[in-house]
Amino acid sequence: MTSLYDRRMVLFSGKGGVGKTTLASAFALSCARKGQRTLLIELNVKDRLNAIFGSVEVGPEIVEIEQNLFAVNISPRVAMEEYGLMKLRVKVVYKAVFENRVVQSFLRVVPGLNDLLMLGKSHFHAVEVDGAGKYVWDKVVIDAPATGHGIFFLKIPSVITSILESGPMFSDAKKIEEFLRDPSLTAVNLVTLPEEMPVNETLELRQTLVDELKMPIGMIVANSVYEPVFDEEESAWLLDAEVEQFEDTQTQGFVDAAKFRAQRVEMQSEYVEKLENTLSETLVRVPYYFTERFDFQTIAKIADEIDAQLGEESGSQRSAG
Amino acid sequence: MPSTTDASNQFADLIKRREVVVCVGSGGVGKTTTSAVIALHAALEGRKALVLTIDPAKRLANSLGVDALDNEATRIPLERFEEVGLHPEGELWAMMLDMKQSFDHLVDRHAPDEKSKQAILDNKLYKYFSTSLAGTQEYAAAERLYEIYTSGEYDLIVLDTPPTSHALDFLEAPNRLVDAINSRAMQFLYRPTSGLLSVGTNYVIKTLSRFTGGEMLKELGAFLKAFSTLFAGFQERAGKVRELMTSDVTTFTVITAPTAGNIDEAIYFHKKLGADHARVGGFVTNRVHPAWVPRAELSRPSGQLSRELSGLSSEYDALDREAQKEFARKIRGNATDFQVLADLDQEAIAHLRDTIPRSIPIMRVPYFAHDIHSLAGLDHVRRSLFVA
Repeated sequence: MTSLYDRRMVLFSGKGGVGKTTLASAFALSCARKGQRTLLIELNVKDRLNAIFGSVEVGPEIVEIEQNLFAVNISPRVAMEEYGLMKLRVKVVYKAVFENRVVQSFLRVVPGLNDLLMLGKSHFHAVEVDGAGKYVWDKVVIDAPATGHGIFFLKIPSVITSILESGPMFSDAKKIEEFLRDPSLTAVNLVTLPEEMPVNETLELRQTLVDELKMPIGMIVANSVYEPVFDEEESAWLLDAEVEQFEDTQTQGFVDAAKFRAQRVEMQSEYVEKLENTLSETLVRVPYYFTERFDFQTIAKIADEIDAQLGEESGSQRSAG
Repeated sequence: MPSTTDASNQFADLIKRREVVVCVGSGGVGKTTTSAVIALHAALEGRKALVLTIDPAKRLANSLGVDALDNEATRIPLERFEEVGLHPEGELWAMMLDMKQSFDHLVDRHAPDEKSKQAILDNKLYKYFSTSLAGTQEYAAAERLYEIYTSGEYDLIVLDTPPTSHALDFLEAPNRLVDAINSRAMQFLYRPTSGLLSVGTNYVIKTLSRFTGGEMLKELGAFLKAFSTLFAGFQERAGKVRELMTSDVTTFTVITAPTAGNIDEAIYFHKKLGADHARVGGFVTNRVHPAWVPRAELSRPSGQLSRELSGLSSEYDALDREAQKEFARKIRGNATDFQVLADLDQEAIAHLRDTIPRSIPIMRVPYFAHDIHSLAGLDHVRRSLFVA
């Protein structure tokens, strides 16, 4: 199996609110630190990378946010203009056709067009070559939409190839579809929290990606895993603690906080186990960080965490093989 | 800052006086659970309440103690309540909106005749796109809500909106659909071969087809033409839906979590809703970390804390002094960890309080040690939301 670091396009999806942007950022940083020229892509969202990397606001122009790490927030409108100009070559013609009011109002309602443009541009960067025929990017990392929209987004090329039989749109869609399905080029990573809802949704999402979209899955990330502070015996004392066991409310507060930790750890380990037992993919555990907001320091720690755990996995696979 | 109890009372009072509650918020903040809790509260207060969700996950059904939910309303059986010691005077109903079915239903109602209807349902693009055409999901949800509201069957309807960043689209969707596919733009495609087209238009179509191929344009033309027959009906209904959404029988509740990013989004929702003349009646902040130990107490020496912990368990009491102190240090470290989170949450909520009008209550639901997936769990949340 091609290592995650060797694929050209690496996507992150999962339920809303599980940390997709965080994980995509950390993985991109990890690639950049290995010397890979990396492009981190947001898809027409309110930019969050500027807060994470302390960079300028990331818009539709590619900007460098760290050494070897570049970012872009794809806007469908700008993507259309770039694509249009690439094909038409003449700006006046583009303007005459695409900026025509009637055409504009038509394009606004073409179903799936925005998603196709964003996916098309992402793919373009993944295969973009310079004058010498060398790839411009070693790695394209995409912060993809959450589950429901995410599936629709990735399905667009297949929808087009099933509706059409030929033509320029058909061949573009076909190229993207083949690229997305190639396990040596692409991987979709699924981010989840070790909790009931996100885990179930992740299992369903994975099934759809594999069965319907025939896409290669990379790693599964269990995010925000509490590190167990208390050993098994200590946890048992805490789990048995009563609501009003201590007269002193502060002491009770200390015990309540500890009991909460023990309960969460217990619950999370059940779901981590469920992921481990159900899925064949590498499971990466990212710890819960208590001390700060998600700034660069945290992202850097997560990058190291991913790197260490993926390294371990490929090492053990090698020795097993 | 008004107390949590004041906020809860104010919110409970508002819900009592409204017939439609629309829950909005970004993904993963507990929107579906909160929607169910609001409906449960109303049912316990003696009203006939319906929670209308678009979340296809089975959890809501399971939480409510039924096997599955579908496009028809299901009443939650009384036994389920009694099992957890609840005795509602009203009724709790739940429905999961199936987007495809709802949209087919929309076509069914708005198509001028059988032939137009079949043309839409048979269209290749429709099959893939009926549920993803910009704003149509939201529109279908809003229209269904309107339909149920006008049936007068329920005292309260709680709508759980789609978990996207476009949660407000259902307010804008009808207008946008109508505006965008106006007849001028349509003609251009669905009569490409008619002699009425100007030379310029022909040129435009030729250029476009260099991108898409003629086949795609033809398909799109057929799709949009078929769809355009619906618009007269849409336009009329869209106005009425909007009227309901902005009238005083309806209140919007913004659901959020106390992280800085989520709070920013909640503020954005509030602003957008205001611009759309919709009224926000409250903010529900889920998963707020409790302040278990006040900051000043966190420096308590491990010797002292270890003595105070005596009685935790007989095994603990049997440990030697050093081992007890070691454990106390862990206890203190853990409380310090959580205090950081509690402080961050307070800070984020204070920012929300400073940004939105004082008249809008902010409710806090604590972070529970367990996930909510039973009626008892929903009731637990209800008590912290309404009887704080």
